[in-house]
Amino acid sequence: MLKAPFDPVQLAIPFFILAIVLEILLGRFGKARAHYEVRDTATSLTMGLGSTIAGALFGGVIFATTVWVYQHRLFTIPMNAVWAWIAVFLLEDLTYYWFHRLAHERRVWWASHVNHHTSTHYNLSTALRQTWTGGVAGTWLLWLPLSFLGFPPAMVAIQKGISLVYQFWIHTEAIKRMPGWFEAVFNTPSHHRVHHARNARYLDANYAGILIIWDRMFGTFIPEVDEEPCRYGTVKNLGNFNLLHNVFHEWIGIAKDVAGSPRHALGYIFGPPGWSPDGSRDTSHTLKAKWRARVGADSTDQRI
Amino acid sequence: MDKALLIQLGGSAAGIAVLVGFTAWMGVARPTPPLDAESARALLALEFPDQRPDRVWISADGAAVIARDGDAALVLYRRGDGYVARDLPWSAIASLKPINGRVRPRLSDARPVFAVKDDVWPPREFA
Repeated sequence: MLKAPFDPVQLAIPFFILAIVLEILLGRFGKARAHYEVRDTATSLTMGLGSTIAGALFGGVIFATTVWVYQHRLFTIPMNAVWAWIAVFLLEDLTYYWFHRLAHERRVWWASHVNHHTSTHYNLSTALRQTWTGGVAGTWLLWLPLSFLGFPPAMVAIQKGISLVYQFWIHTEAIKRMPGWFEAVFNTPSHHRVHHARNARYLDANYAGILIIWDRMFGTFIPEVDEEPCRYGTVKNLGNFNLLHNVFHEWIGIAKDVAGSPRHALGYIFGPPGWSPDGSRDTSHTLKAKWRARVGADSTDQRI
Repeated sequence: MDKALLIQLGGSAAGIAVLVGFTAWMGVARPTPPLDAESARALLALEFPDQRPDRVWISADGAAVIARDGDAALVLYRRGDGYVARDLPWSAIASLKPINGRVRPRLSDARPVFAVKDDVWPPREFA
């Protein structure tokens, strides 16, 4: 099957809205930790709508490419087999981990993903703050190997949707910790708070989609510690609420840097965010090093 | 453009407006009382942990802070219910001209407005 018979994300939209209303009410009446700022919320929701439109505009290219790859597949994997769904669940989640890690560690893909991190709040509306430029950035190419292996494009699309829906509920401060076994295996609000934090100790961590095991396996897991509450947003928070600035500021930053010094274009485009030829700017790596120097922590132990 | 798509977009935009209105009505933003000396110092320590500013000025409305650390100006201002931190050369701050009790430093992505008492600039904290 090529085209997905349903889109989990579309189906979940009423749930998204109800959950946001519930979280606001819980925050309002002091039953849970939840803060919403009006312009921040407006930005998040509008980013979500814009992302859907951008996705529709670019969807044809992505779908056509995926079908073409599937036509040259290695195997034919049945869509009605339980083992196939287990396999696509694991492989899609692994793909997501690497997509997400690249999206944070390489500036050209960060330019597309940074919008999701510009809110200084961490609430359910933040989950809807999605990219408009993902199609251009080409990160969708990372999912093509699944179709090449033989997973039907519809199956991959459904699993991607399930992953996105799963990731909605973890964007909250209302839930402190899940049971230990759940925290060990799955991505949770606590793990993802760390991912959205701008504290130096928490940078570049917890890239998981559904399963946190990938971060544990690949050494990017950092637990949330109560003595250092997460502060949200980007290392250098945006100075305004301008929607277009939010969407394009990092792309514009790359263009300015490349135009100013074309011979360093590769570094500016594919280096880590904050990379500069003379090292005068901060990257996550340098920020963490400074933090470790301040707290005197053993540089090999990220838990401290 | 497809009529169904237009209806869907219009409906979505209306839904966003309702939800944003609901957020405003509920008033669940973080409290941001005017900054005083202690809270300003705490915020500076959080945002500029490697710097030790010796002089600190708080705007007349308590919504912004400028601190001096040698040739650097550390700027903090309220945006929504949070704060934005920027550092810039001290000369860019020293050369500001107050107009109607306001100074507007030029940052890379914003021109925030800082309330100044008595139109005096630089304020006595930086004299």
